[in-house]
Amino acid sequence: MKPLGILFLKTLVAILLGLGVMTARAAEQPNIVLILADDLGFTDIAPYGSEISTPSLAALANEGIRFTNFHTAASCAPSRAMLLTGVDNHRAGVASIPEAIPPEQSGSASYQGVLGNNVVTVASLLEGAGYHTYMAGKWHLGKEKHQLPSRRGFERTVVMADTGADNWEQKPYIPIYKKANWFADGEEMELPEDFYSSRFLIDKTIEFIDSNRDDGQPFFAYVPFQAVHIPVQAPQEFIDRYRGVYDVGWEQLREDRLAKAVELGVVPEGVGMVNMSTTQDWDALSDARKRYEAKRMAVYGGMVEAMDFHIGRLIEYLKATGQYDNTLFIFTSDNGTEVSGPLNPEAARTRFLLRNQGYSTEYETLGLKGSFNSISPSFASASASPLAFYKFYAGEGGMRVPLIIAGQSVSGLTIPDKGKLNHALAYVTDITPTILSLAGVDAPGGRFGGRPVERMIGRNLMPLIEGDVERVYSEDDVIGYEVGGNAALFRGDYKIVINRGPVGDSAWHLYHIVNDPGETEDLAEAMPERMQIMMRAYEHYVVENEVLPVPPGYAQLSQGGINGLRDAYGKQLLVLLVSIMILVIFLVMARSIHRR
Amino acid sequence: MINKVLRVVAALPGILFVVMGVRWVIDPAAAAAGIGMPLLEGVGLSTQIGDLGAFFLTMGLLILIGVTTLRRVWFYPPIMLLGLAASFRIIAWLVHGAALAGSLIAAEIIIATLLLVSTLRLCEKDRT
Repeated sequence: MKPLGILFLKTLVAILLGLGVMTARAAEQPNIVLILADDLGFTDIAPYGSEISTPSLAALANEGIRFTNFHTAASCAPSRAMLLTGVDNHRAGVASIPEAIPPEQSGSASYQGVLGNNVVTVASLLEGAGYHTYMAGKWHLGKEKHQLPSRRGFERTVVMADTGADNWEQKPYIPIYKKANWFADGEEMELPEDFYSSRFLIDKTIEFIDSNRDDGQPFFAYVPFQAVHIPVQAPQEFIDRYRGVYDVGWEQLREDRLAKAVELGVVPEGVGMVNMSTTQDWDALSDARKRYEAKRMAVYGGMVEAMDFHIGRLIEYLKATGQYDNTLFIFTSDNGTEVSGPLNPEAARTRFLLRNQGYSTEYETLGLKGSFNSISPSFASASASPLAFYKFYAGEGGMRVPLIIAGQSVSGLTIPDKGKLNHALAYVTDITPTILSLAGVDAPGGRFGGRPVERMIGRNLMPLIEGDVERVYSEDDVIGYEVGGNAALFRGDYKIVINRGPVGDSAWHLYHIVNDPGETEDLAEAMPERMQIMMRAYEHYVVENEVLPVPPGYAQLSQGGINGLRDAYGKQLLVLLVSIMILVIFLVMARSIHRR
Repeated sequence: MINKVLRVVAALPGILFVVMGVRWVIDPAAAAAGIGMPLLEGVGLSTQIGDLGAFFLTMGLLILIGVTTLRRVWFYPPIMLLGLAASFRIIAWLVHGAALAGSLIAAEIIIATLLLVSTLRLCEKDRT
């Protein structure tokens, strides 16, 4: 045969072999559904001890594995950055939520509040490996066009780019936004008239999956719900199921959830609980206030159940189309329970402020369209039961959240202990390496797409899921964390933690978080050597990740308000000031001329 | 008394135009959106900010000078600018297929008329 003919044959064989490998790989690669709840507390779903009915998540838990010692950041965007990249939030450019970064930190590349170009998302890596990549939900990692998920590896997207938004219509939920910023495939979009967030996001996810169903390629679907971020809103039929359930009050609910969590094995027996300073005395409330607070929480329960209902729709769709068996599900939350709801939404000032945004806080319509609802810090503490603190704080209530990984029939995955609990320490940066491992995709080294990128710090949880190892972090491995001055470091079964005001005491404490997840017994004095080792490790973490100190008096919530108002109205204010300056100069000159 | 009120009323569009001029320089996107215009790029953006900023700021200051000095010569340019703007908008609609910007035309005619009345009432002694 002539050399040219041999070359042609070789090329043909290589192409066919390549195609064969790709086809085989596509057949083996599982579909992956990553579901992220927003501000969902540790015991807010039934598999973790909640009274809220979540049958879809319970079914996933029965078929998979529940992690009881899984931690995330205590704040939204940093968690999302770590979840999608496997890189520490500071290194990913999201040291804090963009809305709450003080001017003293905003000059640092780590404190931009948007996902840096020095990190690669799991979607980019999966897309490169032949996956369809879809996203429907909250992004909050940048809202300029080049920062949207359509530029970060997601093939089809419908996203809300802000911290949160109304669940019934395209409307901002706080005055720092002029509008709710929704985008479809990178372009601004208008929401449909019959919008309800959880239903809409699952509808879009199903639409995306269905559009490429028969092409043989696996998919990765990221579904970050708005539920149960404020405004807490739910369809009436879901709210009605929780009427009267919370009449027992927050103290009893916290006790009940602890008892159930112990019964399920989610936390060990004899776990202590602290009583948060922000928890009011339920018995001291008037009957009218009790009724109102119980309704607030009933809407919350309804919103969680509505989310579960729509997750169930996605599962049914996958089953009906024969895609369920080869789909891995990962369910978690971005941080602990939201705590910024007003103590009394019926107070005149709160009602005035909300009315200016077109919201009502009337009892009868609470949670419906046009209503602004939240849960108070007291019920937030019950929602995080039996843990201390909640969202924004580095206490377990802010950082420890549910994690369910399920996919019993996924090829290449064996879950010997399905339906069981796993108590090993795990962290949000572990999710991306775990997904990549299951998909057979390599994590990037120091470079990706012709540019240097950060290396992932997360660990692959597959050996843990498959029962090959007891833990993926050894007794001496450390995980550092800091957002907004609240910080922690995990080492073995221990954790050092500092929480700033207004709820924290700005002092470091040491806890054994396996025996004492409620963080009731400070071991700092009893174990000074361990404390010292962990403090040194935290100092190393600070240097390594370029963590900056927060300015004196910094408060995340109020900084968020100030920054938000500056972003929303800063230019208008500048226009006004310059105009006044011109008019004053004009007036002075005119008077001067007139006197002459 | 009526003249004092008229001076204040006539000064209001002057202040408004000053703010609009400044807005074109500081927040051109919002300024453009305010008059139904997309924000351009490159030389177009330069022209938008330069010409429209100067147009509104100058018109506002001319009105304020007129109100302050009570000399009618200062009122003529803004009256002409507003009158012509309204006329050209109508021509744009009739001839060039532009949208009929009814509210903007009405605002321009009302302000031009207000300035004309102010000229006649406030500047009776001025023959310039």
